[in-house]
Amino acid sequence: MKRTRRRSYSVFIFALLFIIGMFVFIFRWFSDGRSWANMPYNGHYAATGIADGGTITDCYGELLAYSSDGERVYNGREDVRKATLHMVGDTSTNISTSIQSIYRSSISGYNILFGASSFGKLLSNTNMQLTIDSAACATAYNALSGRNGAVVVYNYKTGELLCSVSTPTYDPASPPEISSDDTSYDGVYLDKTLSGLYPPGSTFKIVTLCAALENIPDVEDMTFYCNGSTDIDGHKVTCMDSHGELTLKEAFSHSCNIAFAELSCKLGKETLEKYADSLGITTSYKVNGNPTAKGNFDLDKAIKAEVAWAGIGQYTDEVCPMNMAILSAGVARGGSTIIPHTVKNTSLIDLSAVMSSKSLIKPSTAAKIKDMMRSTVSDYYGDWSFPSLTVCAKTGTAETGNNDEAHGWITGFTLDDDCPLAFACVVENGGLGFYSAGNVVSQTLETIAENMRNGN
Amino acid sequence: MDSIIEFITDYGVFALRVAAALLTVLTVVKCFYSMRIQKRGKKPLISLHNTITDETVPVYYWENSLGRSRGSDIYIADSTVSRDHAVLLRRNEGWFISDTGSKAGVFVNNKRCQGRTQIFLNDVITLGATQFEVKKGESSHQSVSEKDTAPHKKAMRPFVLLLLMLFSLLMFFTQAAFASDGFMPEAFVVYGAFSAVVISVFAFTRGFLKRASFELETLGLLFSGMGVSLLIRQNLRQAYVQLICVVLGVILFLVIIRLLEYPDKLLKMRMYAMGAAVVLLAINLVFGTVRSGAQNWIQIGSITVQPSELVKVIFIFVSAATLDVLQTNRNLTEFIVFSAICIGALFIMSDFGTALIFFATFLIISIIRSGDYKTVILALVAAFFGAMIILCFKPYIAQRFAAWGNVWQNYDDAAYQQARVLTYSASGGLFGVGVGNGFLKYIFASESDLVFGLLCEESGLIVAVTVALSLAALVFYTREITTLSRSSFYSISACCAAGLLIIQASLNVFGATDILPLTGVTLPFISLGGSSMISCWGLLAFIKAADERTYKKLSRKHIVQVAES
Repeated sequence: MKRTRRRSYSVFIFALLFIIGMFVFIFRWFSDGRSWANMPYNGHYAATGIADGGTITDCYGELLAYSSDGERVYNGREDVRKATLHMVGDTSTNISTSIQSIYRSSISGYNILFGASSFGKLLSNTNMQLTIDSAACATAYNALSGRNGAVVVYNYKTGELLCSVSTPTYDPASPPEISSDDTSYDGVYLDKTLSGLYPPGSTFKIVTLCAALENIPDVEDMTFYCNGSTDIDGHKVTCMDSHGELTLKEAFSHSCNIAFAELSCKLGKETLEKYADSLGITTSYKVNGNPTAKGNFDLDKAIKAEVAWAGIGQYTDEVCPMNMAILSAGVARGGSTIIPHTVKNTSLIDLSAVMSSKSLIKPSTAAKIKDMMRSTVSDYYGDWSFPSLTVCAKTGTAETGNNDEAHGWITGFTLDDDCPLAFACVVENGGLGFYSAGNVVSQTLETIAENMRNGN
Repeated sequence: MDSIIEFITDYGVFALRVAAALLTVLTVVKCFYSMRIQKRGKKPLISLHNTITDETVPVYYWENSLGRSRGSDIYIADSTVSRDHAVLLRRNEGWFISDTGSKAGVFVNNKRCQGRTQIFLNDVITLGATQFEVKKGESSHQSVSEKDTAPHKKAMRPFVLLLLMLFSLLMFFTQAAFASDGFMPEAFVVYGAFSAVVISVFAFTRGFLKRASFELETLGLLFSGMGVSLLIRQNLRQAYVQLICVVLGVILFLVIIRLLEYPDKLLKMRMYAMGAAVVLLAINLVFGTVRSGAQNWIQIGSITVQPSELVKVIFIFVSAATLDVLQTNRNLTEFIVFSAICIGALFIMSDFGTALIFFATFLIISIIRSGDYKTVILALVAAFFGAMIILCFKPYIAQRFAAWGNVWQNYDDAAYQQARVLTYSASGGLFGVGVGNGFLKYIFASESDLVFGLLCEESGLIVAVTVALSLAALVFYTREITTLSRSSFYSISACCAAGLLIIQASLNVFGATDILPLTGVTLPFISLGGSSMISCWGLLAFIKAADERTYKKLSRKHIVQVAES
């Protein structure tokens, strides 16, 4: 019997494995249960949807969505509804990255201890306050005036996302029937600030500049000569203008392709790729749990002229508007950036995700880039375009590869202590960056600043 | 006004859920507590007085090996004694000694014994150069303090356990009656019928059989009852069918315990049992029908049976043997061939989940019976190659592996079921949304393969985890009682039965929750499935039989009398 007893320990192995497995399940249940319950097919919420869910307000308490008599009601202004569609979401959760999709169960009263049961609803806070300024979103939406694109503005000190607009959009109060061959709604369910990828054009020169400052000795004392085009191994690289002789600072603020093509060739593939990675162009950040699209910067097969084009944001380069704004925030903050968030501090979110900063650039380099981005506005475009703010920026006009008008870009930040804003904006086929995207951002920033300064 | 009523019902139903969870935990804890403290203390049954060394060796077990090998229950340091010389056994008729192939032989009062020979007090047993005189247990020089022998805490009275269990179940059935889509009085009818079954079993066990304990039955009936309550809102007819299967299961449980009372006689039946199992599987292979990928069903009229479930009971039965048989016949070949036939047949039926259960149980049996790790390693290697071959020939199994761990990428195709289980288990919270209020019940196989998710959703995490952990606790309990069993036949079969149940529970629970790939086996006692329910009760019978208290306890006086006569 003793032998049998000793050998019977073998059954313990299975019992112990079972108990370990059980603890794995319990652990996952507590840590991931909320996201499990949040799936769109969940019958506990599908029956009524979020039609009896809590309210969603913007940072000034403006109601963006609420429930009344078993129906979901959205903001009273059509432009606000359209501008905040991708942030707030619609009733049928078509926008998978929106608040009403990712916090669906919380808004509907999910509680980890009581699950989806009606008792849990009584105990849970189902209301959410967002960080966005809905009036500024409407301004951005109106400034886009029907053009497609994406606008991101956030407070680079707190990480609060103030404006996030993606077009095309629709009115969540009366969602349209969208037929699959209707191209005017292409990408309507995507939040382009997170999922859009665009050739960055000259905004990419921030990356090339950063690499040059840190890798080419005395680059700040170099001069460049631009006569509108140059020849690299038999391939032509062109510039928008014939700039003549330029310093590095002038080359950056005038966005001279010839100078930056020369720098790119000097830096070479590996260095440029390294900087595209370390500055977050090819990173996927998590904004509110949603991953941003990874940009593209791959020079494996590029010949020398293509490396030159890549260094000025063409070739196969692509970048997500959110990543560009995060990069600008990094420059503004002296090298270490902050990842934006969209939910005001409530019990509904995980605090560890709120304050997430990440070091991108050496502080000394960041200061130089900041200075050159400031000069772009002050010496080249003129401060009159931003009446109440001191802005540092880089624009871009990105060729799309076909005969369509180029995409207009702007990214940058303000220097104002009471209004520390980082931004990025793309206007699809908008033409020259400053006149398309720059205009949208200028109007948006002014609205935000006015509201911030007046406390609404 | 309406909202006030709604409010009261909301809170009332919620209170029911909390009560159900707390009562379930209480019942389970009390059952295991009761089983633990009623354990017999370690007290020698008789003792052997070595006339040469003048030492007295206490005899603790119903079956004791004597020999020169260190692992023997009674170790004899004598070079003329074989390593596994003999076995000393206790039966209702008294004590016996059996020579297990020793070189020098066993002599009782100077007569060489053939096979089992009964011995009496003061008989002299000679093994090689060693001589023992049979003495009473008390005459041992080792003093045994009173504390070790008697259970010093009062055990839970079986009747109290019964009431607790019935009351817990009332909470589940009441929830089913008041589920959100309207009042359903039939739930109470089912509860009444189930209670009648429970009370009959109790009256029969305690009143007629005079059995001392009712804990295992309480646990089995509690879980079976929960399973039935989950079916009420899903398919009332199936709830009744399941109830009938519980009755059949309990009958099988009682019959098996009765049959196992005399393991020596029963051992002769092993060949017939194996034959029956092979015939069952053969019938299945020839006449079986395919359901969701596996051909493991036989349809007889309107009744469908899963023969492989019944083969599980036979598998456990043939795995075990009494100690003297084990020592004389070490050869596992017969059992390996039988296992290979069973597992092979299940493979052909594409019932890989059950095949895996058989295989893992086979490993446990091999180790407990022979301590032979070589066989186990060989079997594992063979299984590895077997698994590779399946993956080559049955690509849909590989698909399950592909979905495993990637639920959220495949939640609308390959991992459809697992994703629903996770979502709805999280939607249940700690106390569930109430029996009958769940949404997982609309998903295919929710009441069988995915029942753990259903339990989480409708009854909450506390109940689901309690059920799961008590199946694990059953393993610990079973192993704890092994040396107190009346024969190693019981020890081995009980450990293997408990092992089989926990392996099956692992595959069910972790398959549904994406910790393991989904294999589609049932959760013991809870899942819908008549054959499965009956076989679980059959397996529980082996554990019950291993408990010394199950069979009419012979008073110590009686034993001494028998020995003296």
